[in-house]
Amino acid sequence: MNGGTGRVEIARSRRQLMLVACSGAIGTFASLALPMALGRAIDGNGLALAVGLIAVSIASDLFDSFATTAYAANAAARLRHALIRQILSVSPHRLLGFPTGDLVSRVSGQASEAAQADFSRISLALGVLPPVGSLIVLSIMDWRLGVAFLAGVGGVTLVLRSFSRRAEQASAGYQVAQSGIAARLTEAMTGARTIAAAGTYEAERERVLRPLEELRAQGMRMWQVLARSTAQGAVVGPLVLVVVMAAGGLLLASHDLTPGDLFAAGRYAVIGAGLGALTGVLGGLARARSATSRINAVLQVPPLSYGTLSLPDGPGRLEFDGVSVDGVLRGVTFAVPGGSSAAVVGRSGSGKSVLAFLAARLRDPDGGTVLLDGVPLPSVSEGELRRAVGCAFEKPVLLGGTVSDAIGLGREHVGATRAATAVHAHDFVVRLPHGYDTPLADAPMSGGEAQRLGLARAWDASRLLVLDDATSSLDMVTEMRIGEALLAASRTRLIITHRITTAERADLVVWLDGGTVRAVGSHAALWDEPAYRAVFQ
Amino acid sequence: MTPIAFGVLHLRRGAVLRFLLWSLPEALPAAMLGVAVARSVDHFLAGRSLVGLAWLAAIIPVSLCSAVGARQVLRGLGEMVEPMRDELVRRVVGSSLARALDGQADDGAVARLTRQVEIVRDSFAGLLMVTRDFVVGVVGVLLGLLALSPWVMLFVGPPFLLGVAGFVASLGLSARRQRAAVLAEERLAATASTVVAGARDAIACGASGHAAAMVAGPIEDQAAAERALSWTAVVRTLCFAVGGWLPLIALLMAVPWLTGRGLTPGEVLGGLTYVLFGLQPAMRKLMGGLGGAGLRYTVTLGRLLEQRVTPPAAVKGAGTRLEARHVTFAYGPHSEPVFRDLSLAVGEGAHLAVIGPSGIGKSTLAMVLCGLRHPSSGEVVVADRVLIPQEAYVFSATVRENLAYLRPGADDALLNAAAAAVGAGTLVEELGGLDAVVEPGRLSAGQRQLIALARAYLSSAPIVILDEATCHLDPATEAVAEQAFARRPGGLIVIAHRLSSALRAKRILVLDGAGAQLGDHAGLLERSALYRELISSLAHEPPGSPRSGSASPSWSGSVTGGSGPSPD
Repeated sequence: MNGGTGRVEIARSRRQLMLVACSGAIGTFASLALPMALGRAIDGNGLALAVGLIAVSIASDLFDSFATTAYAANAAARLRHALIRQILSVSPHRLLGFPTGDLVSRVSGQASEAAQADFSRISLALGVLPPVGSLIVLSIMDWRLGVAFLAGVGGVTLVLRSFSRRAEQASAGYQVAQSGIAARLTEAMTGARTIAAAGTYEAERERVLRPLEELRAQGMRMWQVLARSTAQGAVVGPLVLVVVMAAGGLLLASHDLTPGDLFAAGRYAVIGAGLGALTGVLGGLARARSATSRINAVLQVPPLSYGTLSLPDGPGRLEFDGVSVDGVLRGVTFAVPGGSSAAVVGRSGSGKSVLAFLAARLRDPDGGTVLLDGVPLPSVSEGELRRAVGCAFEKPVLLGGTVSDAIGLGREHVGATRAATAVHAHDFVVRLPHGYDTPLADAPMSGGEAQRLGLARAWDASRLLVLDDATSSLDMVTEMRIGEALLAASRTRLIITHRITTAERADLVVWLDGGTVRAVGSHAALWDEPAYRAVFQ
Repeated sequence: MTPIAFGVLHLRRGAVLRFLLWSLPEALPAAMLGVAVARSVDHFLAGRSLVGLAWLAAIIPVSLCSAVGARQVLRGLGEMVEPMRDELVRRVVGSSLARALDGQADDGAVARLTRQVEIVRDSFAGLLMVTRDFVVGVVGVLLGLLALSPWVMLFVGPPFLLGVAGFVASLGLSARRQRAAVLAEERLAATASTVVAGARDAIACGASGHAAAMVAGPIEDQAAAERALSWTAVVRTLCFAVGGWLPLIALLMAVPWLTGRGLTPGEVLGGLTYVLFGLQPAMRKLMGGLGGAGLRYTVTLGRLLEQRVTPPAAVKGAGTRLEARHVTFAYGPHSEPVFRDLSLAVGEGAHLAVIGPSGIGKSTLAMVLCGLRHPSSGEVVVADRVLIPQEAYVFSATVRENLAYLRPGADDALLNAAAAAVGAGTLVEELGGLDAVVEPGRLSAGQRQLIALARAYLSSAPIVILDEATCHLDPATEAVAEQAFARRPGGLIVIAHRLSSALRAKRILVLDGAGAQLGDHAGLLERSALYRELISSLAHEPPGSPRSGSASPSWSGSVTGGSGPSPD
């Protein structure tokens, strides 16, 4: 059904685009024909035609000014929805090449730019018409007018060549002074508590503002450069018009042109000189095209697909069967009996986090199978899988309007207070300004606090909890208490950890080394191996 | 203050005068164009081609004259814009710093300082120029038309004025819609940013749909705001039709009547030239300028001015004895207190350690004792004190400036002695002595803490509060520093990061959610279950634990996540 409405929408937007293109074309031709019609009207015949052309070009302008904005707004919204849906449905590791800020800029700014692509193409095509058409019309009226026009344009280009370089130098000095202030400000803001306690606000502000004088001096230099170039522009501005009018005037004197023709020639000279504006359109088109290809780069990533199966009744037995991930894991095979806990240990870079992602099905292996209660994870339906498996991270990102939302995330089966209490987050949540209803933005949290909310969010998983270093920022006492709560919960736990105490408490230790399972056993049994002890050094 | 008022207030009279006076020559080409066309056409028609050419050629020297003016005008513009930009930079720096001191998270300071201030600077200049261009252009055309034939004015003036008036009247609406669109865009970017950053988490929790729905609203709102904006474009186009095209049509229709009153063909052409080459571009520029630069100016500056500069009230305590009497502190009226009914006193010779699980409010307590947060009830007698927080503040300046921060004018002997006392002597040498310039980014967290400690040691304040200020030092260095502070005259409060530093104190305050207990080691072992638990958990942490790169265990978890829901 979704695809159906999508197609209807696209068909409708095609129609809108065609309308905009037609109206634009009509308007452009009308404005190109207008000087000629005005000339006729001046010479005493065809006032109606001129008025008609003016009316047509106004109507086309009116339609365009509304339709282009509305169309672009809708097109941008469609792109944004698609991007967000895509980002939320691919394996996170596939987007590692796109930093968050970069993805957000694709969703916000670049979607707008890409939505302009269609118009940029239309306005480029239509934008060439008036200047080129003007030159042609001038030449048809009399070839000498065309020559005069080209000579005028040549002169202007020569004069305007010389500025841009000096302007660049001046603005570089300005930016240096500006970043100087920005750097000092950033530095002072990191020392906010020291400054507040020491009462040195005024002194700090003045210290930050020390480069301001230099900024002013550089700023004035920029204006001087601009003043010079503007003066040059003022000299050459009317050049083309004067040259064409002079040529036309001579033709008028020899009765080769009528006064109306002369007026039209002057008008065409001005329209023709607008050729420079096209570079702007070209730049816009280039931006739109690059934005489109950047958006497509995200949309083309294959999404994580889900199956349709339900899980059979079971205790949550987790099984890795010959699992490999290119360059990270090789032939990983082990099983965690339902209801028991397994600690995954290993030096950094041994593939622990990838293992956690596989167990939580945030990615699929390149070879082998991960099974939960005997069913390969990719065959399980999304709803069933996510209810059964929960995952908590070392650095959780909390989503939602309030603290309570951040735990519940719109899932009916999750009770925020219950989950928070279980992971000992309740105590600090109720100390926030509005308790569970505190907006996340107003609840700056330490690493340990965020970790506990991240844990609360995953707590209600029915069969398997995957903890990827998820308690690393907690103090010992809290971690111990959560450890006890974990023991009491009758779910399978896969715990990635650096901590020796966590490994000690687990029923089973999976020891990863260089992407393979070095050994599986109890902590006590493995402790005799020096290489195992070295993992915790 | 409205953005317009702000801009007007910062205009210097001399600069404005220069700007306006030098604009006069620029009206000349505008005034002359139509007359030149009219006269030249009439001469060409009469066969006096040379005179016709001379009339046209006269436009060039007039342009030269206006170019001289344009140059001075731009300088005047710089003198109008730069002081206003200076003031804006001062405000942005002041308000960003004040907000940071107030503990408000703020990641937009640099964007405000660089991008937004520049947008205001450019658009303010654009606004002044565009308005001036319009006035100069229209005055020029007016003069030209009067010279040519006042009758033409009759047909051109009224529709032109009507169109401009309509446009000006629609500006308020445009500004409101533009502002709404900018806000919608910002909301969209903010929401998208959280959701994109949390995509992994949303997928793992099976909340992809919920997360997508969080962004869907802002996406649609933004599209609606853009569509609403398109109507203002329609209004503008209509105004241009009335102000730009109607005069032309009126003039064309009046040609027979005007010729009847003795107007030459050249003069008719001149009139049309004024409309098409003078009034239309002037109006187009005004619309583009006010619609673009003007809206950018009001929207951006409006948002910058919303950031109020409220310099923090400096809390300078007095006296040598810090005291808390029955102090209760909560973050909001509806939240559980962080601590309740807490009383303690720290005076000459006191050494108090504060311990407790991470996030329990130890840093908050430090802020309250310093007078930087007000208790919900109870009373704090703030002494003359110095607070060194966990994140040591070192700024890009000389070592001397950094050390003497709390005691300006201290001599070298004093500075070196203080550095040596807290164990920073070697560091100062390594950095190249007191006159070396410090680059904070090149120092390790521990080195920064050493500098901050030396600075606190130098302070004349009798009470020193170290809020995990030694957490990045190894235990031996930490001991040296703490012992130096213990020997220093006055009182010492240490928010302790390690058991060892707590055991050095004469008294220990144990904070937990339920309440606070004050006592010495032996007494607390007896009375506080949490204290026993903390001691035992620390004692049992195997020495091989990877987290304690140092030999001594800590209870504050990661160094970043040490302390409470306070903005630390």
